[in-house]
Amino acid sequence: MRTLIIGVGTFAALVWATAPVGAQGKRLADGQPDVQGVWAAVNAGSTSLTNPISGGEDFDRRVTGQDIKRPSRIIDPPDGLLPYQPWAAAKQKQEERDYEHPTKPEDIDTQHRCLLGGVPRFYTIVPAFRILQPANEVVFVWDEFHAYRIIPVDNRPHIAPNVKLWMGDARGHWEGNTLVVDTTNVRGARLSFIGDFYSENAHVTERITFVDANTMNYEATVTDPTVYTRPWTMRIGAKRRPDDEFWESACWEGNVNPDVWLDKK
Amino acid sequence: MRRVVIAVAFSLVPYAAAAQAIPRTADGKPDLSGIWQVMNTAAWDIQDHAAQKGVPGGPGVVEGNDIPYTPEALAQKKKNYEQRATADPETKCYLPGVPRITYMPYPFQIIQKPTEVTVLYEYVHTVRYIFTNGMPHPKGPIEWWLGDSRGRWEGDTLVVDVVHFNDQTWFDRAGNFHSTALHVVERYTPTDADHITYTVTIEDPNVYTRPWNMSMILYRHKEKNFQLYEYECYGFDFEKIYPYPELGGAR
Repeated sequence: MRTLIIGVGTFAALVWATAPVGAQGKRLADGQPDVQGVWAAVNAGSTSLTNPISGGEDFDRRVTGQDIKRPSRIIDPPDGLLPYQPWAAAKQKQEERDYEHPTKPEDIDTQHRCLLGGVPRFYTIVPAFRILQPANEVVFVWDEFHAYRIIPVDNRPHIAPNVKLWMGDARGHWEGNTLVVDTTNVRGARLSFIGDFYSENAHVTERITFVDANTMNYEATVTDPTVYTRPWTMRIGAKRRPDDEFWESACWEGNVNPDVWLDKK
Repeated sequence: MRRVVIAVAFSLVPYAAAAQAIPRTADGKPDLSGIWQVMNTAAWDIQDHAAQKGVPGGPGVVEGNDIPYTPEALAQKKKNYEQRATADPETKCYLPGVPRITYMPYPFQIIQKPTEVTVLYEYVHTVRYIFTNGMPHPKGPIEWWLGDSRGRWEGDTLVVDVVHFNDQTWFDRAGNFHSTALHVVERYTPTDADHITYTVTIEDPNVYTRPWNMSMILYRHKEKNFQLYEYECYGFDFEKIYPYPELGGAR
């Protein structure tokens, strides 16, 4: 009898703890919280990690003549700025100038070239994404760039370190309602239009918490001693969206000749 | 008599041990989820073809081998073949169309849900949704690279009706082509846990005198920890200029 009561109590506690998250608090057959469906970032924008408003960091200054401090998506360091090493800060500023006045194909941001944005960049973009959970995996499929990310949650090891992928190599596990993802094997990548970047030595740790049935809190910590003086963490909120059909989005690298973007000499 | 019965029973044992039952979803439909790939040379030429440098030879996947082109279309096909090194849309990183994406020499993963079957292909990270939610094709005209896919179950066969194509894709590297009037019907029939018979009916009155069929087998990847990598396609020499060359480990 006593065993039975404990059993029921544990079961009830589990149900109570998970009820707000999945659809009807559902767990999938493999034990994962069911977080499937369509989601989109709330504070989205690809311009800058510190100021997501379109037009760049000086947008407000150019339009209104004054700086308006918007909340940075960088939550650590506390000043909301990316902790670049001096050479890397100079590099980012140069990339920002080149982005404004591109003269070479490499001045064009990779997102405009339809190349895979990788992580954490794909969580900063405006288009929605769909979460699917086949057995022992969490899969993100974005509504643009025909891009997807498959995250095994079965404790398998990472692939060989010499393999560099645009999306990196992700391994996840659940801690309650938080999907913790360890991503290695990244290529060096641009993180924003203004030229924020990390190197191929970057290591990304994400904590994706499903706060309730309709709210996802995305946090990514980037550790890259090649470019930064210390690890930094960004946060983005996402909300559930209607479960509409995703139709074809066929952005592809090469669909526009880079000359179209370049400043004429 | 008795000896015959024993012989028959014995002969069935290895088969039963080797071929596992078709996995099924909660609603009893076959579950096509998993990582699959063809083992054929259709990506190079869907018809019977001998090897050339860089091209594996092999039997084609066209039933009867002949494609019933109209005379004008056949002339265009021959022209495509001669110019294939530069004219093949694959060289431009386009999404390859249906069914070509299925038999590209790359694996793909099927994720099956009751209302949609999502197919994630390694090649140019192509995403395709086969909607099984009972909704009809959207009204055209629409020109999509992969068309609009609507699926339904006929017994253990997933039947997918695909329309709304553009005319910018080929069926292979040998110049076989179609127009925007292309209508594709795919049939995915699992025969056991690890094999799907994949047949395709191609219809396009602008190009062919009658419908014709392709047929091949999809094989499940069973290697331990197998996973999709990625094939990002560059229309330009992107790998030479990106990422920033001055970073350590520059390529």
